[in-house]
This record gives sequence, C-alpha cells and structure tokens, in this order.
Amino acid sequence: MNIGETAVISSVGDDCIDIHCHCLRLMELGFTPGQKVKVIAKSPFRDPLAVSIRGTIIALRRNEAECIKISENK
Amino acid sequence: MKNKELQEEELIVEKKLPVIALVGMPNSGKTTLFNALTGANYKTSNYPGSTVEYSSGQLSEKYNSEAEILDTPGIISLNPSSIDEQIAIEGLFNHPKFGTPDAVIVTCDVTQLSRQLFLVKQIVDSGFRTVVALTMNDILQRKDLSVNSEILENIIGCPVVKINASEKTGLNELIQAVVSEFNRKPEQYVHKPLIPAEDEISRIYDFTEETEIEVLEPFKNKRDIDELNRKLFGNLHREPDRNSLKIDKYVLHPVLGTLIFIISMGLIFTSIFWIAQPLMDIVDNFFSLVAETVSNYLPENKWYSDLISEGIITGLGAVMIFVPQIMILFILLGLLEDTGYLARAAMLIDKPLSKLGLNGRSFIPMLSGYACAIPAIMAARTISNRRERLLTIMIIPLMSCSARLPVYALLLAYLTPPGNPWIPGLALGALYLLSLIISSLVAGIISKFRRNTEKSTFMLELPPYRLPVLKNILKSAYYKAGLYIKQAGPVIIIISIVLWALTYFPETRPQLSGNNQNDEIAIESSRLNNSYAAMIGKTVLEPILRPLGWDWRVGVALISAFAAREVFVSAMAITFSITENTEDEENFQSSILQSMKEAKNSEGTPLFTTASVISLIIYFMFAMQCLSTVAVSRKETASWKIPLFQILLYSFLAYVSALLVYNGLKFIGIN
Repeated sequence: MNIGETAVISSVGDDCIDIHCHCLRLMELGFTPGQKVKVIAKSPFRDPLAVSIRGTIIALRRNEAECIKISENK
Repeated sequence: MKNKELQEEELIVEKKLPVIALVGMPNSGKTTLFNALTGANYKTSNYPGSTVEYSSGQLSEKYNSEAEILDTPGIISLNPSSIDEQIAIEGLFNHPKFGTPDAVIVTCDVTQLSRQLFLVKQIVDSGFRTVVALTMNDILQRKDLSVNSEILENIIGCPVVKINASEKTGLNELIQAVVSEFNRKPEQYVHKPLIPAEDEISRIYDFTEETEIEVLEPFKNKRDIDELNRKLFGNLHREPDRNSLKIDKYVLHPVLGTLIFIISMGLIFTSIFWIAQPLMDIVDNFFSLVAETVSNYLPENKWYSDLISEGIITGLGAVMIFVPQIMILFILLGLLEDTGYLARAAMLIDKPLSKLGLNGRSFIPMLSGYACAIPAIMAARTISNRRERLLTIMIIPLMSCSARLPVYALLLAYLTPPGNPWIPGLALGALYLLSLIISSLVAGIISKFRRNTEKSTFMLELPPYRLPVLKNILKSAYYKAGLYIKQAGPVIIIISIVLWALTYFPETRPQLSGNNQNDEIAIESSRLNNSYAAMIGKTVLEPILRPLGWDWRVGVALISAFAAREVFVSAMAITFSITENTEDEENFQSSILQSMKEAKNSEGTPLFTTASVISLIIYFMFAMQCLSTVAVSRKETASWKIPLFQILLYSFLAYVSALLVYNGLKFIGIN
C-alpha cells in the first residue's frame, strides 16, 4: 500500500504458524477484519509504517503489518 | 531498622484506605487524571524485582473522601504480550502492596471509542467495581459529536462520567460515583480473563462497535441526525485527529521529517552537552568551595579531616554533578513525549536500530550517552521492550561521554605537535565515530548470540499532538533527579570514600613545611605514591600493565579514574608530582605533558611513547571506567547481571585491544 491509500482488512494472521506471532496483539490494537485502514506515512527507510485505524494512528514494522491481509483498495 | 519500621507503619495506614486503581490505554489521559486527583502529590515505585513503575498517592482533600489512588502502567488489554505488561497486569489484580483494588477507574478516550471500550469491557467482565471516565470529550465535540453517557452506562453496566482532567471538570462526580460503588457488593469475584482467542477478540469488538453507534450523538443538535448518521457510517468517528494528520504531513514526510528529526535531536544533544556544562561547573565549584571551607575549620593533619573534605564532600559533589544533565534530559524527554513527537521520532529511526536488536526508542538514550552515561541509562526507561532496554543500557557506556574528553584532550595533545589544533580535532571526531561503530557492533553481536525469548515488536501508537503541561514535566524531571540521588547516590559516595581511602592510607606524613603550594603538592604526591593504591599498582597492576606499555603510576591514575574518567588527568598530575605553579590551565596541561615526556619506566626508557599513549586512548574507549555508571546500571536493571557483564566484557575488550594496538604499533615500528 502506498501513502494515502485506504483498504479494508480481510483477515489477520491467517497464514501465521509462529506461536510467538503478534496477530492477537494486532487484533487487540483494533486491526480486526472489516476495519478500514489507511497508510498515513512511511519512515525514511520505508519501515515502519504509520497506519490509521479506529480513530488513532499506529506505527507498525513491515513484518508486523504483513500479518494483516487487505481485501480491496479503494 | 528504623526505616523498616516506618515502612511498616506506612503500610498499616495505607491498608485502611480504600484503593482506587486507574487503568487505561496509553495516551488515554490517565496520567493527567491521576495528577488532578492526587494534586500531583504522589510517589513512584517499582514493582518488586522489576523496573516497571507505578505511582500512588492519596486522593486530594478537595474531593471530601479518603482513598489511595494507584496509577498503573498503560495497557492495551488484559492479555500481556511482554514481561513488563505481565507485571503491570498482575499488579492490577493482586498488587504487591495494595492487594486487589476496591474499585477501578478506566479512562476511555471518546475519540476512538470502539478501540478504547475494548479494555473497558475486559475490566468490567473481570468483576472489578468499575467506573468509566470519558476523556477527550472536547476533541470529539470538534467533530460535532458527543457521547450519551446514560446510554453507555446501560449498555456497559457501570457508572460513566465525562471528565476534563486538565480543566478539572467532572472530577467530583467521578469520585462520588466511585465512592457509591464501594458499597455495592460485586456480583462476581475478581478474576483474570483467559487469554482470548481470535474470535473472542472479534466478539468484543463487535460489541464495542455496536455500542459506539448507539452512544454517539450529534453535539447540541448542530446537525441533522440523518445527515450525521450518513457521516457516521462514513466512519467520521473513526478518523484520527485532523490537526495531527496535518502536522504529520510534514513531521513524517520522508525528507522534511528527516530534517526535523536531525534538528530536534541536534538540539537535545547540544543542550545536554553545552547548557548543562555551566551548571555542572557551578556544582563543581560549589563543592570544591565547601570542601575547602570545611577543611579550614577542621583540625589539620588528621585523617578524618581529609576524609570529610576529600572523601565525603567530594563524593557528594560526584553525585550532584550529574543532576543538571539528568534534569535537562528529562525535561526535554518529557516535552517530546507529551507533545507526541517522541513516538514519531522513534518510528523514523527504528529501521536501522532494529537491525542491531535495538528499537527506535533506543536512539535518545544512545545520543545522550555522548554527554553522560548516567542520564542516558535512566532515559532508557522509555523503551517498553525489556530486551531492547537492557541491550540499550548495555551499550551506553561505550558511547564517548564528555568525561572522556579531558582524557582524550591530554593524550592527543601529547601525540601531536603543538600548533596544529586541527589534527587532535580530527582525531577526536574519529574517536566519536569509532565509539558509535563499536557500540553498534557490540549490540549486533550480543543480539545475534542471545536469541529472542521476547520477540521484538514495535507497534506504537502515534498519539495526537498536544500542548505539554510544563508543571507535570518539571515535576517528573525533579522526581527522576531525586530518585537518582537517593538510589545511586549512596553507592557513588561509598565508592568515592573507598577510592579515597585506597589513595590516602597508610598515612605517611613527610615532614615538609607545607606552607607553599609546591610542598603541598609534594606531600600529596608522596602520599599517593605510598598509598595502598600505589601498592596495588606496583604489585598487582605493574605486571598486568607492562605489556600495554604502562607502569604502576598510570595504574594508580586508572584506579583513581574509577571515580570519574576525568579524574585521570588530575591523578596523573599527582602521581607524576607536577607542580602546579599557576591556576592557568594551559600551563597546567603543558607541565603534565612535560613530565610525561620526562617519565621513564623501570628500564630507563621513555614511558610515554606514541604506542603506549595510543593504547591508553584505546583503553579509555572501551573501559567501564566509571563506577557511578555501574551504580546506575545496577539500579535501572534491578539486578547485578548487566553491570557485572559490562565490567567484565568492557574491561576485557579494553585490555585486549590496548594490548593488540600497543604491540601492533611496536611491531610495525611505531614507538
């Protein structure tokens, strides 16, 4: 996703097999299926990303953000 | 003993009062509420055996009720994802000092209701007597929305009060709601929820989303409800703060953001370096003056006179000298944190640091390490991941701190011919860069060897930009300085008394008149050269230091420098009995340089060669030559593991690299 793009979450952590995965924490932070997310900014090294979700902005590392699958770009 | 009794007494008094715990997500206005309820009259403690902090204080008298308020660390949910969160959550259910709280106030930021109600729901479901404090209502009103707290009360099943802690509205109602909850018999026992499965989280979120739609209503009927509903489902209420989004366009911009980052970090660095300097000089001069005045009133030629003036007062000075830097650093950190920039700065620099097993939040502590390791290690508290915090603390002593500067200045002046100030300047720059490279290498290697037990995460909320409350920041900086004095101070004073004793005893008093300054220095010099430190130097250190090209006198200076690195320079002056004719610093340095040039080792060849001086510089780059840092490192990690590892590893690295450099240089013919 590029800066300014919006999408809807389809699933979180479906492909994860690692038990130490952060999918649960991501969901607790508000990244649940059906929610709209928008990329607000990327750091100069293109990682982490700042993503808006449920009225706040959360910075995520790229590998964490990869747990979140999006269904459609708007 | 007396202390312990006092503590027990305190505990009994506090047991009688009902305990109200404050719980909330990070940035939900919990700390502002805590400050308002306690009147900023509180103390901060650590959970036993950890560095996780909580604050507690009595409810301010103006609320006409008595209660102990307990501020807990901000949490996302009751399901911990790190050791520190686990300690915080355990502490909520069964606090080591206060037990299970009689009631819980959950702060809930209404601008992100669907997210914040998640924790509220978990707390209520755990069986606590809960009161919800709705915060940031004014910000929600800017979107022409407001929360109907009666509907929310019915849905969630506990009292809901709107507050504005900085304007102190709604607080009386909040406390009344809590007090009436005390009398309610809870329907169930307080119990910790099971770790939720994914569908359980979704289920709670379904609930919070429905609740959000039910309770949000137009503010003062400004808008037609239908129009607003259309907007609601267009997710108006799930948009972040608009002003923050506007500011972030610049602050998180790839180019501008980097520029702002460099400028703000540069400002922090220069202020802890340059603004603190005159303040530190004042502290230094003050304690020298006190030591001098006191020694004038004490009987002459008695060991205890010297103990008081040189051991204790100088030790006190060694503690206090760090206070200006600690205060300045924590005021700046507080400003960055409270405005919301700190989280963004951490995001910008996270990538390169994560490669070394560190975190974006390690940056400011590392940068501060170039001024002084002590405030830097304390600043590592802002790193929430325990592993990354410990690793940051581990490498901070390698940063080229300002106490190394006088040592490098002296040694570089010895190496370079006078008249070319740019050569030592360039060399100094290279030393700074080298210390950055070395610390990165050490961090990288340690993180490679120690596999993750606690997986590194970033996941940081970027809070809306806010104006900081200066009073709270000053209060917290003052508190941090006090904590340092109380906890690290005694250790530093004991260490400096031991060092004093080592360099003073056995007492030999050469019969010199002691009237003029030259004789006084001769007495001091002869005393040091016959002291236990010198004995250790001659018998233990000499054989160890010989392969590095140094003799016992350098060893004695190194022992003295454990008090602080810069003491090395004055200790060198004493061991080589330099007569300090004038107060003029330039002359002082040139006379040390002169005696260094004349110094011979036991074989009669010059002691200070290019090779042996370079090996000294290399030694200082690595060596853990600062016992104050050891004391703070012990306190901040709540164990001896890290400080001992630091002493062993860095002494080893210092010795081996000095050895290699000295012999390598000799091998290629540089002497």
